[in-house]
Amino acid sequence: MEPKPRMLVILDVVTVLLFLIAVGMVFFYAPLEAIMGQVQRVFYFHVANAWVGMLGFMVAAIAGIAYLRKNDRKWDIVGLAAIEISFVFFLTAIISGSIWARGSWGTWWTWDPRLTTAAICELVYAAYFMLRQGIEDPDRRARFGAVYAILSFISVPLTFISIRIFRTIHPVIFGGAAAAGGTFEMSPIMLQTFMFSLLTFSIIFIDLLWHRIRLGKLADETEALRLKTLQ
Amino acid sequence: MESMPKTEDKLGTTESTLGVGQFIRSVTAIIWKDLAAELRSRELLSAMLVFALLVILIFNFALELDAAARSSVTAGVLWVTFAFAGTIGLNRSMAMEKDRGCLDGLLLAPVDRTAIYFGKAIGNLIFMLIVEAIVLPVYSVLYSVNLFNPGLLLVILLGSIGYVAVGTLLSSMAVQTRTRDVLLPVLLFPLIIPVLIAAVKASTGFLQGVDVADIRAWINLLLVYDVIFIAVAFMVFDYIVEE
Amino acid sequence: MINTLILQAPAETTRYMIAGYTVIFGVMFLYIVSLIVRSRKLKQELETLKELEQEKK
Repeated sequence: MEPKPRMLVILDVVTVLLFLIAVGMVFFYAPLEAIMGQVQRVFYFHVANAWVGMLGFMVAAIAGIAYLRKNDRKWDIVGLAAIEISFVFFLTAIISGSIWARGSWGTWWTWDPRLTTAAICELVYAAYFMLRQGIEDPDRRARFGAVYAILSFISVPLTFISIRIFRTIHPVIFGGAAAAGGTFEMSPIMLQTFMFSLLTFSIIFIDLLWHRIRLGKLADETEALRLKTLQ
Repeated sequence: MESMPKTEDKLGTTESTLGVGQFIRSVTAIIWKDLAAELRSRELLSAMLVFALLVILIFNFALELDAAARSSVTAGVLWVTFAFAGTIGLNRSMAMEKDRGCLDGLLLAPVDRTAIYFGKAIGNLIFMLIVEAIVLPVYSVLYSVNLFNPGLLLVILLGSIGYVAVGTLLSSMAVQTRTRDVLLPVLLFPLIIPVLIAAVKASTGFLQGVDVADIRAWINLLLVYDVIFIAVAFMVFDYIVEE
Repeated sequence: MINTLILQAPAETTRYMIAGYTVIFGVMFLYIVSLIVRSRKLKQELETLKELEQEKK
C-alpha cells in the first residue's frame, strides 16, 4: 500500500472539521422542534446516512458498468468498497429512523417507503455478499458482482415507487404524522442544518470510499503475493 | 466480385435478414429442446406443480381463509405460491442445462448469446404459465372463488414475464456458483418486489371489481418493469456467460 | 392565534435523541475502527509474505 497521498490527508482533516461543525449545528444551532422535541435532531443525520447509502449504491452500479466494459480490476474494488460503505450507512439510517419513529410516534417501525426501501437495500447487499462468497474465480466474482449491482440498482427506484403508490392508497394505521412520513415544519435554520449535514456526509462518503479502496488494493496485493509464495 | 446471390431458406428469409431469422430460429430451437425434454421426463413441471399445491394447502391452515377474508387475501396467496414455485422451475431449468453440459454446448455453437437467454426465459415462462394454469382452477374449486377474470389473467401474464425475465438472468449466475439453489431466492426476491406489489394489488383490484382506472397504475408499473428488465437482460447476459 | 395562546411544551424525547446518536456515532466509529484493524492485519501479512519470498530466493 503506497503511503497516504497528500490529498487524502487534507481530505481527512476537512472531513473531521466538517463533521464537528455539523454536530455543533445539530445540537446547538438548530432549534428545538415544537412537537417532537429533542428526538427530531436525529432526523438530520438519519437522512444524511440514507443519502450516503443511496450514493454508495449508485457508485457501485456505475463501477459495475465500468468493470463490465473495461475489465479493469480497480472497478471491482471500487464497487465492493461502495457497497460495503452503503451497507453500513443504510444500517445506521434504518436504526436511527426506527428510534426516531419510536420517539416521535411511539412505534418502532413505519412502513414508510424510504425506510422500507432502505431495508430492502440491506437485503440486496446481503445477497450481493453471498453471491461473491460463492464464487472462487476473481474475474467471475467481479463480473457477477457488477451485474447484480446494476440489476439491483435499477430495481430500487421501481421498488420505491411501488411502495409509494401502495401507501397513498392505503393510509397507515399509525396515525397521521407517521403516515405522512414524518413531516414537520422546517424553519430556515433547520434547513441550513439539514443541507450542511447532507454536504458533510457526502464528503465523509468520499473520504471513507477512498480509504476503503486503498484497503481493497492492499488486499489484492496481499492475495496475489499469498498465491505466489505459497506455491 | 459480383453481388452475392441472395439465398432463400425454408422460412423464406433472404440473406439480408439472416441475422434476425437466425436469432428467432435459435430461440425457437432452445424452447423446443426444453419442451421436448420436459415432455419426456416431466420432472420440472411435476416438481413445480406439487410444490405449488402444497403451498396452497399450507396456506389453508396457516391463514384463516373464511369467505370474508378470502377476497382480500387470495391475490397474495396466489402470488406467494407462484413466486416460490417459480424459483424451483428456474433452478431446475438452469441446473439441467449446466449438468448435462448443454450450456457449454450452446455457448460453443455459433449462436447469439442473447438467443440463449430468450430461449431459456421463454421456456421458463411457458412452464410457469402451465403451472399457473393448473393452480388457478384448483384454487377456484377449493375455495369457491371465481378466478376466471380476464384482468386477473392479464396481470398473471405480465407478472410472470417480469419474474421470469429477472429470474432467468439471476439463475444463470446462481448456477455457476457453489451455493447454487440456495442463492437464487436470495438474489431474486428483493429485485421482484415491485412485481409482487403491483401484481397483488392489481389482482386484488380485478377480483374485487374495482374500477379499471384505479388499477391502471399497477398495470403500467408491471409493463415498465417488464420492458426495462428485458432490455437490461439484452445488454447484460453476454457478461454472465462469458468464459 | 389560538395556537400561540395554548402553549404546549414539546414532548420529552431527549432519551431517544441520545439513543439515536449513540447508534449513529457508534456505528461510524466501529466501521472506521474495522477499516484500521483490517488494514493493519493485511500490512502485517504482506510483510510476512515478503520476508518469506526473500528467504525463498
